[in-house]
Amino acid sequence: MEVYINALSCISHHNTIDDDFFFEDIPSIPTSNSLQVTAPVYKDYIPANTIRRTSHILKMGISAGLMCLRKTGKEQTDAIVVGTAMGCFEDTDKFLRSIGDNNESMLTPTSFIQSTHNTVAGQLALLTKCHGYNFTYVHQNLSFEYALLDAMLLLKDGEAETVLVGGVDELIPPLFELFDRAGHIKKTENNNEPIWKSKSKGFIAGEGSAFFSIGNKSTDSSIAKIKGVKAIQKLNTEGELSDHCTAFLNELNLKKEDISLVLNGASGDSEKDKRILNFTDTLNLPTAYFKHLCGEYFTSSGFALWLATNILKKQRVPDSIIPTKFSGALKNILIVNHYQDQHYSFICVSAC
Amino acid sequence: MSTRVHITGIGIISAIGNNIEETFLSLSECKTGIGKINHLSTIHKNDFLVGEVKQSNEELSKIAGVKNYNRTTLLGLIAAKEALQNSGIKNIKEARTGFISSTTVAGMCHSELLYKDFFENKTNENFIDSHFSGVSTDDIAGIIGIDEYVTTISTACSSAANAVMLGARLIKNNILDRVVVGGVDALSKFTLNGFNTLMILDTEWCKPFDENRKGLNLGEGAAFLVLESDEQVKKSNKKSLALVTGYGNANDAFHQTASSVEGYGAFLAMQAALKVASISHQKIDYINAHGTGTPNNDSSEGIAMQTIFENKVPKFSSTKAYTGHTLAAAAAIEAVISILSMQNNMIFPCLNRSAQMHELTSSPVSVIEKNVNLEHVMSNSFGFGGNCSSLIFSKN
Repeated sequence: MEVYINALSCISHHNTIDDDFFFEDIPSIPTSNSLQVTAPVYKDYIPANTIRRTSHILKMGISAGLMCLRKTGKEQTDAIVVGTAMGCFEDTDKFLRSIGDNNESMLTPTSFIQSTHNTVAGQLALLTKCHGYNFTYVHQNLSFEYALLDAMLLLKDGEAETVLVGGVDELIPPLFELFDRAGHIKKTENNNEPIWKSKSKGFIAGEGSAFFSIGNKSTDSSIAKIKGVKAIQKLNTEGELSDHCTAFLNELNLKKEDISLVLNGASGDSEKDKRILNFTDTLNLPTAYFKHLCGEYFTSSGFALWLATNILKKQRVPDSIIPTKFSGALKNILIVNHYQDQHYSFICVSAC
Repeated sequence: MSTRVHITGIGIISAIGNNIEETFLSLSECKTGIGKINHLSTIHKNDFLVGEVKQSNEELSKIAGVKNYNRTTLLGLIAAKEALQNSGIKNIKEARTGFISSTTVAGMCHSELLYKDFFENKTNENFIDSHFSGVSTDDIAGIIGIDEYVTTISTACSSAANAVMLGARLIKNNILDRVVVGGVDALSKFTLNGFNTLMILDTEWCKPFDENRKGLNLGEGAAFLVLESDEQVKKSNKKSLALVTGYGNANDAFHQTASSVEGYGAFLAMQAALKVASISHQKIDYINAHGTGTPNNDSSEGIAMQTIFENKVPKFSSTKAYTGHTLAAAAAIEAVISILSMQNNMIFPCLNRSAQMHELTSSPVSVIEKNVNLEHVMSNSFGFGGNCSSLIFSKN
């Protein structure tokens, strides 16, 4: 079933909180191997008496969530569904360290309370007094996709008319160190090619928060529609990604030629990106990239959906995201994403 | 949306047994599994009682038939394998089969042992890859061979109820033919110290729905249920253990960790579950309550039950004094216990009670009841973040 995106918001490395900003004059090689978000004025969203105790992910999650709802004209929604792979890592780290440093003594509850994975969704419910359905998905890089699938099912079943659905993950220094020492992050000296032409291992690390108010009816403010989402747990054979794509498009009654643009989730890791790059090569459609804008993080599909929706709205593909200049009408965009060649996903979003 | 949702298999491991048979024996003898800490490495060994699974990781590995997995994955795998066996499923690929697990702290039992050394002594380079919440789900799904719809839910202590709810919705929508749903959490220093800072751990055996209750005992374990569509059950000519007829999730929207005095979120969840089941509240024969033994929960939940049942609360009890509070696994463990109650016509009572709660006019079952026909059983689970869920199981 198709659902309508009636409002959206995104906090990312770039100034995506400004509706007029659209990646003009952005270099195709990111300035660093660690892309932190450009923060909004958090006190516009977080109560002043709690802001000091509010962790980075909570600030990003709550702000983007409320920002999105405010664009619908009212801070209300029937249901809230959030995807976050790492959850509230800053508070988890704080509590873990204090357990280790103080030998399980003299601990305070704040960081434990806020370390719970569903804190973003819970706080959004609290701040908007939303007593409805409230779920949090924590399935690695498919967390946002499963949140979206659930939100769409709620709309299909008529259990909700509007759902606030989002994906959020943070990049804080201990997480950077964890990923870096596991060998996942690109060395600074190798960060010298656009991600689609990378010859080195490692990804550009990132973080972000993207939220969408979706509904089962088209409204005056509807910006785009989500036609379908497919989460792929495991690929057994080399050609299976193409088979999944064909089946996915069939389900949506679309032909390959109906896709105006592919958004490819290559991360800049020449080893791990092999399969996704081969796949889009074979597909042979105009292909743009996004992880040099937001970095690699588990819910980066949220950023990709925000980008695709804006491309459809503005009917323009920024030069900074596509190797070959694009011109023409934009009807359907296919997002294909992955993390470290493990789980893959497709999201198809279309103009209203 | 016409199909019914059958439960065709159950699997469980907790402090009161490594399988269904042992679990039922402990319950029917009113025997708790809560005691001194044995395996968990903590300075609080003598401060608190916990519902620990009796086996070491080595022993659990043998039961699970695998090597090199952390306690979370081992517990989950043992329960998931039993559920599949109990359901008689041999070939996963013969039908569209999903796997929905849930956890609050995932591999924390393992990560917390390595964390300090990682940063201070620059060791344990790769442990981040096994820390994420979804990794134990992936490992279990991989071993039992499910790759259709595999996901992980984390909504604190209501997590597994939400896994059951999602599974039922996926079957009703004909997205899956069958789905293995449940949850797992292993004891960790992280959660033990966390609940200790909140000052809601009882140093003695917990006393759910008792006037003198002081807090909860943490536990660990896993449980999974196999849900199948009408058509799938018919096709395989299988026995249906019970039906999932009702489910509801609502948010209390009151406080990050505390429940509202009147239990509004709990009320809404129970109301939603009754609506989905299309039955009036008078039809509920027994409630397996959340009943953690904390002053706040039992009062809030009790008041919510009195409101929704118009002061005629059916028989209810909490089984947390047997297993301890197993966090994300709790709702799945209690779903399995609810099925055991229905199958055996028994109500497993609250343990350790001595006085009536002054906040309530209703009282829990405190002595084991046998030969009670349970047509419809409700099971409640509530968690941090105001998350409230209620499930209804019915006889086929």
